[in-house]
Parts: sequence; structure tokens; C-alpha cells
Amino acid sequence: VVLVACAALSLLAAVLPAELREELAGGLRRTVVAPLIALQTQAERARGAFVTRDVTAARIDSLLLRNAQLTELASENERLRRLIGLGRALQSGFVPAEALHGRGLGDEHTVLLTVGARAGVVERAVVVAPDGLVGVVTSVDPETSLAILWTHPDFRVSAMTGDGATFGIIQPHPGDEPERYLLELRGVAFRDALKSGTIVRSSGLGSLYPRGIPVGTVLGQLESREGWSRTYLLRPAVRPPDVTSVMVLLPDRVRSDLSSVWSSPAGADSTRRGMVSAGDSLAAMAARLDSVRRDSLRRDSTVRDTGRVRP
Amino acid sequence: MKWGRWLKGVLAFAVLVTLHYTVRPLLGLRVSVDFLVIAVLLMSVRTRPGAAALLGFATGLVSDALSPSAFGAGALAMSLIGFAASRLKAVFFADNILLHASFFFAGKWVHDFVYLVVDRQATLLALAAQLFVWTPLSAALTALVGVFLIVVFRATFEPQAV
Repeated sequence: VVLVACAALSLLAAVLPAELREELAGGLRRTVVAPLIALQTQAERARGAFVTRDVTAARIDSLLLRNAQLTELASENERLRRLIGLGRALQSGFVPAEALHGRGLGDEHTVLLTVGARAGVVERAVVVAPDGLVGVVTSVDPETSLAILWTHPDFRVSAMTGDGATFGIIQPHPGDEPERYLLELRGVAFRDALKSGTIVRSSGLGSLYPRGIPVGTVLGQLESREGWSRTYLLRPAVRPPDVTSVMVLLPDRVRSDLSSVWSSPAGADSTRRGMVSAGDSLAAMAARLDSVRRDSLRRDSTVRDTGRVRP
Repeated sequence: MKWGRWLKGVLAFAVLVTLHYTVRPLLGLRVSVDFLVIAVLLMSVRTRPGAAALLGFATGLVSDALSPSAFGAGALAMSLIGFAASRLKAVFFADNILLHASFFFAGKWVHDFVYLVVDRQATLLALAAQLFVWTPLSAALTALVGVFLIVVFRATFEPQAV
């Protein structure tokens, strides 16, 4: 009897009008079946997540890679802009070059430059970067040349403070790892006390380095055995690992005063900003020239087309 | 003691219904295990035919709620296999795995047959393909899982004489 009743009810449900069936089914879905529907939804979502996991992971990897590449491109872009700005400030008497760092023992103080004698590079040519002094060329080949960085034990440069009142000799600081990439300003007259943050530039004495290239910033005074002079610890203007694109100054430029290229009352940061904006203005100028050229080409073609249509 | 066994049976039924709505969509295969059929068959052999038919009817209504176009088809199919399983519970007294597997296989196949016939939506070709290709595969898988459950949870699913 129960089976017959169940079968009859089932058949009745099967032949009910569609609206009524939907109403009954909807009532069940909203009440008794609701927890089961929730379970089914979660399971299907889990399956979807499992199926698309590899695709999603691949997409995330691609985005991360692209993001990393964009960061590298942005930093390289800024570096090149600053170099262009430096070139604009120097105007003439320089050769741009790539600085290739050696990876072997003993190579940490030298870089290989991608320009040589054919580009006009000579021995003792000064190597600079947008931030300041990098080093000096020690040997020249036709296509390449070798330069020592300021970290080299033999590096020396005659230096002065920005106001030209205090002089000394800069050399690498022979410290251990934490102070390895610092400089010393030696032989400062005992009467001249320098404040921390004072920018020190090349003095131009000795006719090797032109006057006015930033070399470092005073961090503090060091203990000195010599009672007649002071020694200061400097933070270098250029970090050796950051040196990738440089300018090699040609002999005729060395004799001139470069104070105006890097001089700025607000310090190195504003100088850097100025160089970046100079790079930007160069790019803007190139874009304007390109636009003018395209416009003139378009005008030319319009004139030609017009001439063709009109008999 | 009797109540304890009955409670275990109800719990097993609830777990199987839950598995039907979690494992099946998780696997997403066309050939899938019908945990509802297993649940109805296993519970039916523990109850009287009338109660088994009612249980099948209720379970079928639940499954029909998700497919209103075939509303009633699942209820009828489940009622029939529940009733039949309760009548044929002697099969379960025989300790033969092949017989158990045949029981689940036949239950699933009959369920799909009744469902498709009452539903009347499939063409003759689609009906034949479903009944002679896909349903046997699903039934075989359902039988495999059903036998596994009986072997592992023998104490829970052991049938009772009425």
C-alpha cells in the first residue's frame, strides 16, 4: 500500500504543471535541501579551484616575473636618463661607456670600459657617473680600457670642500666589511674642522682630475696620529656596485672646471633631479621633433594626394 | 542495543547523502558513484518494505528538488528500488561479495531506467546510450564503492531480520 501510495504521488508530481512542480521543488530547495545545496556549491567551487590552480599559479608567476622586469626596466631607465642628463651638462669632451665588473679575485677594484683608444680614451682619463667620481683609466686598448675604481688601494685624489676653503687628499678607507666602501679625507689642516654632511669635491690640483667632481660626503672625524692635521671619514658619492654606465672625460675636458656640472646649493639630490629632468626634456624634445617630422610628412603626402585628384 | 544499531544506520545514511553532494561534484566525472542509491539500498535492507519505499520516496524528492523538470521521477525510482531491496534483503544474508555487487549494480541500473523513462526528456538514442553505456559504468562504480563500504563497515551495514 505504501509503495502504491509513493508511486502514485511520484507519478502525480511528474505530471503536475511546470509552475507547480517548480514551486514544490523551490520549497524543498529553500528548506530541507538547502544545506545539501550549500555543500554541493562548496564542492563545486573546490573543484573549480583545483582545476584552475595550475593556470592561476602560472598567471601569478608570469605577473611576478613581468613585475620584476618592470622594476628593473624602471631603474635602468632612470639610470640612463641621469646619464643623458650628465652628458647634457658636460656638453662636450666625454665618451659614454659601459662599465663591466670583473668577477674574479683582484677584480673588485677595477672595471672594464667598452671604449678605448679609437674613441679618444687615454691613460689617466677620468671616469665619472651622474653621482660623481668613479675612478681613473689605467690602461687603454683600441676598443676597451681598464679603469681602477676609487676603492683601489692606489687611488688618490686631491679634494676640497664645496666652498674651496679646506683641502686634503682622498684615499680609500682600509676598513673591514662594514666600512669597506668608505673614503678618507686626509691631510686637512688642523685649524679646519668639517661638519658632518659637508660635500667634498675634486680640487683640480695635480692636473689629473678636473675641479668640482663630487667625491663624497663627510661622515665624521677619524682618530689621527698626526697632531698637525685631521682625517675625516667620507661616504662616497658613487657606490661601486651601482657603476654600470659611465662617462670617460677626454683630455681637453680635464683642464676645465666642472664645478658648474655638479654644483647645486641644495646638494646632490637636487643635482640628480636636475639630471633626470634634463633627460626627460631631451626625451620630450625628441618626441616633439618626431611629431613635427610626422606632421610635415603628412602635409607632404596630402599635398601630393590633392595634386593627384585635381587635374 | 537495537536503538544503537538503528542510530548507526541513520548516521551512515546521513554520511552517504552528504558524500553524494560533496564527493560527486568535487570529482565532476560523468561516470560517478551514486551515493544516494547506496544509502537507500543499505537502509532498505534494515527496514520493512513500506518504510523502505517511504525512505526511497523522500530521498528521491530531495534529489528531484535540484532538477524540477524531472520532479517525481527520482522519487518513483527510489521508492521502487527501496521497496525491492527490502524485499530482497535475503541477498544480503548471503556472504558473497559478487552477489552484493550485483545488488548495487542492479539497483543503480533500475533507478536510472525508471528515472529516464518517467522523465521522458531523452531521445531514444540518448536513452539507449545512457542505459547501455553510461549507466552500466556508473552502476559498476557504485557497486564497487558499495561493496567496499560493506566490507569496511560490516558491523554497521549488517542486515537485520524483520
